[in-house]
Amino acid sequence: MPFFKTVEKLIVNYGNFFTEGVRNTLIISASAVLIGTVLGALMALARMSQIHPLRWLATAYIEFFRGTPLMVQLMFIFYGLPMIGVTFPEVSFIPDFSRFMAGIVAMSLNSCAYVAEVIRSGIQAVDSGQMEAARCLGLSKKQGMTMVVLPQAIRNILPALGNEFVTVIKESSVVSVIGIADLMYRTNGVKAKTYNTLECLFVAAIIYFIMTFIFSKLVAYTERRMAHGRRA
Amino acid sequence: MDAGHNEERRTIIQVKHLTKRFEKLTVLDDISIDFREHEVVSVIGPSGGGKSTFLRCLNLMEQPTSGQILVDGVNICDKHIDINRHREKMGMVFQQFNLFNNMNVIKNLTAAPVKLKKMSKEEAEDKAITLLRRVGLEEKVHSYPSELSGGQKQRIAIVRALMMNPEVMLFDEPTSALDPEMIGEVLDVMKELAHEGMTMIVVTHEMRFAREVSSRTLFLSDGHVEEDKPSHELFDHPESPRLVSFLQKVL
Repeated sequence: MPFFKTVEKLIVNYGNFFTEGVRNTLIISASAVLIGTVLGALMALARMSQIHPLRWLATAYIEFFRGTPLMVQLMFIFYGLPMIGVTFPEVSFIPDFSRFMAGIVAMSLNSCAYVAEVIRSGIQAVDSGQMEAARCLGLSKKQGMTMVVLPQAIRNILPALGNEFVTVIKESSVVSVIGIADLMYRTNGVKAKTYNTLECLFVAAIIYFIMTFIFSKLVAYTERRMAHGRRA
Repeated sequence: MDAGHNEERRTIIQVKHLTKRFEKLTVLDDISIDFREHEVVSVIGPSGGGKSTFLRCLNLMEQPTSGQILVDGVNICDKHIDINRHREKMGMVFQQFNLFNNMNVIKNLTAAPVKLKKMSKEEAEDKAITLLRRVGLEEKVHSYPSELSGGQKQRIAIVRALMMNPEVMLFDEPTSALDPEMIGEVLDVMKELAHEGMTMIVVTHEMRFAREVSSRTLFLSDGHVEEDKPSHELFDHPESPRLVSFLQKVL
């Protein structure tokens, strides 16, 4: 089987290229989900706010970022922003810092929009009678939220958030177009060196799959654990 | 039931010209009515007649469009009032029970009183166990709502409201979501409460409860209180044609 011989050769000779790519892919994805979750939580609050302009802005943001391609958003931030004088700083001890920042910012802003919707729908999926009962006992809206609604919403939100991480790992491959040395970028590099196009893409696909598969299994596991009893 | 005797009792809730509109639909139309201490009042009437909305206005779960609701002489519709402190005094029991799904029974009962500093955790737990014993559910202390039957959930929901030592208990069709064989156990708890002198306002379809347990019954139809009389009188001598036809349908 010459195909698998070539694959083996690629892994032996260029293994460190792929592992560096995986590392960067994971750094970008994890940062994007982390920042995206924090911003997304705030965005979800704004989206459900009683203050109309705030709600309107949040809705506009979410619709815009979900309705335009990540590639366009990334290009806009990496190439577009410097043209109007907004640049990311360079840090001497981290190579390619500004490039990385552009990638993380774009992915985070994008992820924020999706996470906001995940959180909002998770909260709104909790039966409104739960909040009513809390209010009737004399608890404030905030107390009802933290004691009753959010603990139940978490159960809806966490699995969906896990899926968002899986999506981000896959989507992060677009950052290769602005020259961030992620798995896709490294794959292209090895491909150009060896001309083993099919084998290189095969290796990349398998690595992406392993990452997402492990993670979605983890998500499924936590989902099962949380589904035990406790639900009306 | 004795009108003369009722007059001496303190008025707890005074409703003055209460009107509630949803968009253009008038659900409650200029209702004025008083509720006295230790009274058990049933609210009956056709669905869509405004019964639940009326009850939910009493603790401001629905914001009245106009009018006043005085609880212990204080107008709770006043914007400057801390409505949460008033809701503590008014226990509410829902058709759908609404036990907190993320908490076990003891937590359901103690969370609010402890959080609102009505009592210490130990006091709350003691009280909860005592009340649970009275409704025959002390072995369910550590169960989650999903592990309970409808009747058990509703009895616990009643206990949860009682934990706050309310002055009034509001019941919003407490037996409507129950399987027939579980209605009795919930009504028994309510009867016991009534005999102990709890002030109760009960929106209900249980005509026997209205007639036999409540001292007074209101017939609410099209946003008006069509009749308001001692229960026996209302059921034995209905006056308004609407009430007559309603009773014919449900009895």
